[in-house]
Parts: sequence; structure tokens; C-alpha cells
Amino acid sequence: MKKIEAIVQPFKLEEVKEALKNIGIDGMTISEVRGHGRQKGHKEVYRGQEYNVDLLPKVKFELVVPSTRLDEVLDTITSAARSGRIGDGKIFVYDVAEAIRIRNGDRGESAV
Amino acid sequence: MGIAANPLSNTAQPESGVLAEPEIRERFFATRDAAAALTLRSQLVDSVVRERWSWMPAGLAIAAVGGYGRRELFPFSDVDLLIITPTDHSEAAIKDPLAMCLRDLWDKGLRISQSVHTVADCNQIDPANAELAVSLLDRRFLAGDQGLFDQIKDPRPELGKNIAQLTKERHTRFQDTIYHLEPNVKDAPGGLRDLQVLRWFARLGAGDAAALPDSKVLFEIRCFLHYLAARDDNKLSFERQDEIAQLSGAASPEDLMRRYYRAVRSIAHLANRRLDRFEAKRSTLFAQFRDRTGRLSNSDFSIVHGEVLFRAPASLAADPGIFLRLFDFIAHHDLPLAPDTEERLEQSAGTFQFWAESHQPHWPAFRNILRQRAASRALRAMHDTGILEALFPELREMEALVIRDFYHRYTVDEHTLVAIQNVFSLKAKSKDMFGDLANETEDLDLLVAALLFHDVGKGDPGEAHVAVSRRIANEALHRAGMGEREWSVVSFLIGSHLEMSAAMNGRDLSDPSTIREMAAKVGTVERLRLLTLLTWADISAVNPSAMTPWRSQLLWKLYSQTYDELTRELSARIQKPEAASNPALAKFLEGLPPRYIRTHSEAEIAEHLRLEREGGYRGISVTLTKSAAWVMTIVASDRPYLFAAAAAALSSFGFNILKAEAFSNARGTAIDTFAFADTTRNLDQNPADREEVLTVVKRAIKGEITAEQLFKRRPKVKPDPHAVAASKVSFDNEACSTATLIQMIAQDRPGLLYDVVSVISRRGANIEVVLVDTEARKAIDVFYVTKAGNKLSAQEAQDLAAAITASLKPVG
Repeated sequence: MKKIEAIVQPFKLEEVKEALKNIGIDGMTISEVRGHGRQKGHKEVYRGQEYNVDLLPKVKFELVVPSTRLDEVLDTITSAARSGRIGDGKIFVYDVAEAIRIRNGDRGESAV
Repeated sequence: MGIAANPLSNTAQPESGVLAEPEIRERFFATRDAAAALTLRSQLVDSVVRERWSWMPAGLAIAAVGGYGRRELFPFSDVDLLIITPTDHSEAAIKDPLAMCLRDLWDKGLRISQSVHTVADCNQIDPANAELAVSLLDRRFLAGDQGLFDQIKDPRPELGKNIAQLTKERHTRFQDTIYHLEPNVKDAPGGLRDLQVLRWFARLGAGDAAALPDSKVLFEIRCFLHYLAARDDNKLSFERQDEIAQLSGAASPEDLMRRYYRAVRSIAHLANRRLDRFEAKRSTLFAQFRDRTGRLSNSDFSIVHGEVLFRAPASLAADPGIFLRLFDFIAHHDLPLAPDTEERLEQSAGTFQFWAESHQPHWPAFRNILRQRAASRALRAMHDTGILEALFPELREMEALVIRDFYHRYTVDEHTLVAIQNVFSLKAKSKDMFGDLANETEDLDLLVAALLFHDVGKGDPGEAHVAVSRRIANEALHRAGMGEREWSVVSFLIGSHLEMSAAMNGRDLSDPSTIREMAAKVGTVERLRLLTLLTWADISAVNPSAMTPWRSQLLWKLYSQTYDELTRELSARIQKPEAASNPALAKFLEGLPPRYIRTHSEAEIAEHLRLEREGGYRGISVTLTKSAAWVMTIVASDRPYLFAAAAAALSSFGFNILKAEAFSNARGTAIDTFAFADTTRNLDQNPADREEVLTVVKRAIKGEITAEQLFKRRPKVKPDPHAVAASKVSFDNEACSTATLIQMIAQDRPGLLYDVVSVISRRGANIEVVLVDTEARKAIDVFYVTKAGNKLSAQEAQDLAAAITASLKPVG
């Protein structure tokens, strides 16, 4: 099992969600986050005054998938979230040691 | 609690004539008459208790208290019993028979909650046990020694304070709001417990028990809740809303909830009013302040203990127009209505509506209320007393209307009032980006009018609410006499009120086409400002945590980028103005940058055209108007030093220039505007001085007064050693295709603008456009400069920047 953490542009939320649903991935956690990557935010000018925007609004997807489906899910997220511009986001993949369904104690992939 | 889950169903044998539990239940589901069901249940329990008590030794009494005492025994509520003993000594003697009696009653399926007290206990108010005293208010003799029962006296009125205290604590547990999506019908503010508090207050001499709000729906809902859950469950969850809506014949769950909120709102409103009467005295400092407000009293209203009362309540019927004056008064002074005033307003709402219908237009008076600092307080008071709905009956559509999702916390009317409150709280914020916007706009009254109607169409299930809201507002506001210019702003705001949040959530804000589209939709800077404020207020009013920093940042990004887009295209000149329907106007607009059209309203442009005509060939027209600040508009044939001379003339009077803009069209007419602050309020107090200002400005432009002569008048300013250090001048030759941008940030001081502008003019450069802004005593100026029709060379620009820097040294 792998855990995927994808940080994408806010306006891509619906598109990514829809794309995942289309390949049969229903379970996910979505949160509104702020942060910055290598660009370290940027400067914006408003009425002649510059101000720093260092934390940019993004959306974070978290989902756990069977290892066999990893590539397919990564491809889906990547193509749905891509606009080709700076700030499109990042995807991180982790190994998951165990998954347990709290309600009935199911373990492993069936608990995901 | 297996027995309690099946109350009285099998074991309790009622006397003849008393209905058994299954029959009561059946009858309730058929008739939905909760009051009858509760009375029948009380009779049933009475018969069971009396039957068992007949086996008890003499010399004791048993009474019903609490809800059971009132004969309002809900299906799974506790049966509250009070056992009265003559003395402490006797308690030990009755312990065993009493224990057996209670056990038997329990076994018969009654959920008993008993207390044993002597008469002396009952007649003593113990602050630690106010609950006993409160429960005694509902005592009802059941069986035993009636003489003993009769010795219990009614509690003293001081008990009201304890009840108020307990009630406030309970309200706090429910965040002091009735607007819970899944409310507790018993304990939440405005629920059955509050109704009971009102009855208790009436028993203690405060208010009239006969005049309490209709609460039938609450009894019905709680009765259903108990039967459906088969336990003492008072939470009206979404599932139960669905079930009960069907059982009670409501058109929909929303309809049921609307009835629920209407009932609890009137109960909560009345309860809060009564609670205030029992409130402990506040600090003396507060009392002093409160009493000082008495001085604000006038011929219509008096202020007593900080609350507004009518001077002549009897004359209300003769002069209903006083209602609008009243709300204008409280909006101006930020004072609450006295309870007596509220009651009179509520009673007269019908009369007022009748009067209002035949005495249009009300928009001018209503707009004045919206322009006051405490307008949101006034609107809430108008809504609470029904006067707002009497003025605009259309607003009843959103009264207690529920939008059922997990995102909205409030009913539509509450959401609307919270949104309006948000606008005014923004205005009070300093050092807040959105707060600045709220303070810059001059059409806050129109924004509030738009907010008032923006969701009113949500009551219509058929169509998208935006269109319905706009249609309803159109009718209501035109009837009230709103002018076309004002309506076009309000109509735009209502019609577009979802546009910005839709773009924030679904569009790429870094994509120039998103921003271009938004700029095209809003058209002008002022509309962008108003729509941004509306969006901020609207989202923030969905629930207390809806406007996260995350959303706030997205909204700001959308605003600032659209603002840039609207003001950026200075190089593009208008070649074929769209306003071709008016040839004179089209000619006037030719050559002006799109920014001019976007930053000026149609009325302002028409005024500029009029001034140009008035001035005639080589003429100079100057006007002075007062809005948030004083604004001087100069329309004149362009000439060297025009802008500089005007700036010098203004600063010679000691005025502080806050904003300035200069434009010129293709036929050589310059349109310069200066917004300035008159800190000594001289112009307000001496109208004659306004003429003096106009004359001096005209003469300065014509060159009849030199800058040196003007300098002599200028008030001396103490040099600020930090001023030069804090200043920054830079140039940009890339941003605009036809002109060089000189940007300056400097400590503001009188005469600064003149000094900088004359440096530019002396160097032979021409100022195409200037944008002056002042924030926190810092001047932020951008000059679009050309020389002989072209950009400056890099060297020229650099020299000019250096010369400006040198000129920033304050004149001592």
C-alpha cells in the first residue's frame, strides 16, 4: 500500500477529484493548505507598493492506494492537475505499513 | 433502561376514563395535537401515582413538579415528584414505605425523579439550590395531606435573578444563537425551556403569561422526537427533520424548520428582553457613560439609561414617519431601543406598513439610515420589530428560511444581517486590506442595499436565486424611489454576487484570461471594490469560520490582479469609444485612456463634459464638492504647469492632497482631479472660503499668481530628518509602451506634490497621467512621463529620479 500526498492548485480541486472518481478511487482526504515551494512565494504590486506573498493557497489530497494501482493514480493526478505553469504543485508517495478500519478491525488493503 | 423504553405500556392499568399509553400515542400520530397528548399522559400518570400512594402512611403529601406539574409530560421525560414531610424527624420513619412505593412506580414503567423535602426546606430560598425553588413554581398536589402541601409558599420575586443566571449559562452552552442546524428543541435558546422561563417570569411579576408567542410547533416536534427515538431525545437532527416533516404534514423539511425558527425566534427575543431586566448592575463607569447619552435626547426621542424611548408614544398613529426618524437616530448614535419602544414598534408594524405603502418614496430616508455608522444595528432593530419587512414586504420571503447544507450555519435573514454587520466591522478595521476598501468606497449604502436583497430569491424553489433576487429587488427598490444610477450599481452587485467566489474556487487566478474576464465583468474600479467587499461579507456570513486566511488570500489576489488589469492599460488610447450613441461624448472620450472610463462613473464623465463646454475655448472650469473628502475637479485646455499650479494653489491653503489624477483627451482638454483633506474644517465652516479657493486655483493656472507668491502663504512645516531616508524614487521604462513610469514613495507633507511636479516640468518632461495616493502618511505617487511625445532615455529617467529625490527634502 502507498500513501499519496498531492499538493495542487485550488482551482484544480474539482478536476482532480473527478478524475480520481473516474478511475474508481473514492476515498480521500482533502484540506485547504498554505505553503511555498522553491519559488518562495512572489512579490505582488498593488497601487505601486510591493508586498510579499510568501504563503500561497493550495489544496492537499491525501489517499492510500494498493501498490498495484500506484502508477495509474499518479498519472491521473498529474494530468488532471497540470496547467504547465509555475505553482502546479507536487506529489509525494510514502510506504504504508498497515491500515486498520476502526469500526471492525479489518486490516490491510481491505481496510482502505 | 429497558423499562423506561416502554413507558406504561403493559403494567400500568389506568382507571376508567383514562387513556392508556398506546392509545395516547396513536391519537397523537393521528391528530398531531401535542398539548392533548401531554395532558392525557399526565392524567394517566396521575392515576397510577395516586393509586399506589393510597397504600402510604398518613401525614405525608406527594406533589407533581416540573413539566409533570404543568401537565406537560412528554412521552419519555422524567416524572418529577416532590414528597413533602412535616419535619426532618419523620423522614427516617417513612424511609422504607417510601422506598417501596418508588420502586413499585419504577416497575410500572415510570421514570421517576423524586426529591423529599420538609415544608421549611421548600419555603427557604437557598441560592445553592435555586432549582428546587424554581421547580416549586410548577407544583401540583397529587395525593396525601393537602394541608401540608398548602403550607408551601410561592417563591419571592428575587428568584428571577437566579432564573436569569441559569438561563444565561444555558444560552452560553449553545453559543447564544438559535440558528443551529440540528437544534435541541428543549434547551437551545428560544426552545421550550425558554418558553418556561417566560412563564416563570410572568409568575414572578415580569410580563404577561397570556401574551406568550405561539409555540405549538415546538411541542409537536418534541413529542414526535420522543416517540421516534423512544427515549428523552430532544435533538432535531437532519434525519428527524425529514421524518417529522412527513409525519406533521409540512411541505418539506425546510418548511418545518421555518416554522421552528419562527417560533423560537419570537420566544428567544422576548426571553432576552426579560433577561436584561434581571441583569445585575453593571459598572459605575458604564452607568456614567450611559447616563451621559441622555443629553442626545431631542424633541422626538428621549434616552433613559442609554435606551431610546418615544417622547410621545400616543402620537405614533398620527405620525408614522417618526419610525424612520427613530432608526436614523439609533443608526447615528449607536444606541439600543428600550424594550417598551420595541414592543410599540412591533404592535404598530401593521399600521406602519399601511402608511408606508401610500407614502413613497422611502429610499432617500432609508439611504440616510444606511449611511450612518451604526446602520447595521438599526437594520437589525428594524428586522426584529418587523418594521424592515413593513417597509419592504418582499423581505418576508427570506424570513427564517433554511438553506440546508453543512456549510451554511444561519437562516437566510440572519445570514443577510450578519453579512451587513461584516461590512461595517470591516470599515472599523484599520491596517486591513479589505478594511481600506470599505473606507474608500462612497457607495457603501448601495452595497448594503444590495446585500439586503442578494439572497431574497432563495425562497423560490424554481429558479436560480440570483435572477429572482434581482427581480424582487428591482420591484422593491424602484417602488421606494431608488434612482437609475443607484439601481444600476445594486442590480450589478446582486446579479454578480457569486462571480468572484466562483472564480476564486474554480479558475486559475494566474491565467491572464481569468483576470481579463473578471475586469470585463466589473468594468470599473468602484464596482470591483464593491463586489469584492460584498463577496468578503457574504462568505464571512456563511458561518463564523468560513472566511479562512486561505480564502481571504484568494479573494485578495483576484481583487488586486483585476484592479491592476483595470488600471494598467494606460498606453492604450481610446480610438472608437463605445458610447457612440452620444456623439459629443464620443468626441470628448477620444484619446482618453480606458483607465479614465473605468475609474469614473457615467455621472462624473457627464459632469466633465459639461464643465468642458462651460469653460469654452481656452477656458478653465473648476468645481469643489464634498463627499468623503473635498474633491476639486479642473477641466481646462491643457497648458504647461497646469497640474503643478493647481497642486501648489491647494497646498498654499494648507490642504493635504490625498489623491490626484490627471488625464487629457485628444483635443487637448485636461481633466485633473484632486481629493484633499481640510484638517481645520475651514471649508465646512466658511462657505465664502470655497470661492476664495476656486479663485486662487484659477489665477494660479492662468499664471496670474506665481508659485513664489503662493509659497508665502504656505504654512511652515517642521523638517523631518527621517523623511528623506524613508523616501524612494525609481523609474520603469518597460511597464508602459508609450511613457516612462516614475514611481515615488515618500513621507507626505504639504506641498510635496507641487515640488515633485515642478521638478518634472522644469526638466521639459510632460506628465501624461499621475496617480497620487496617500497611505499612513506616506505618499505613493506614480507619474507617467513623456518628453516630446516619447519615452525618456534611460539616462534622462535616471537624472529625473535623482532630481526628484533631491527635491524631497522638506522646505523649512
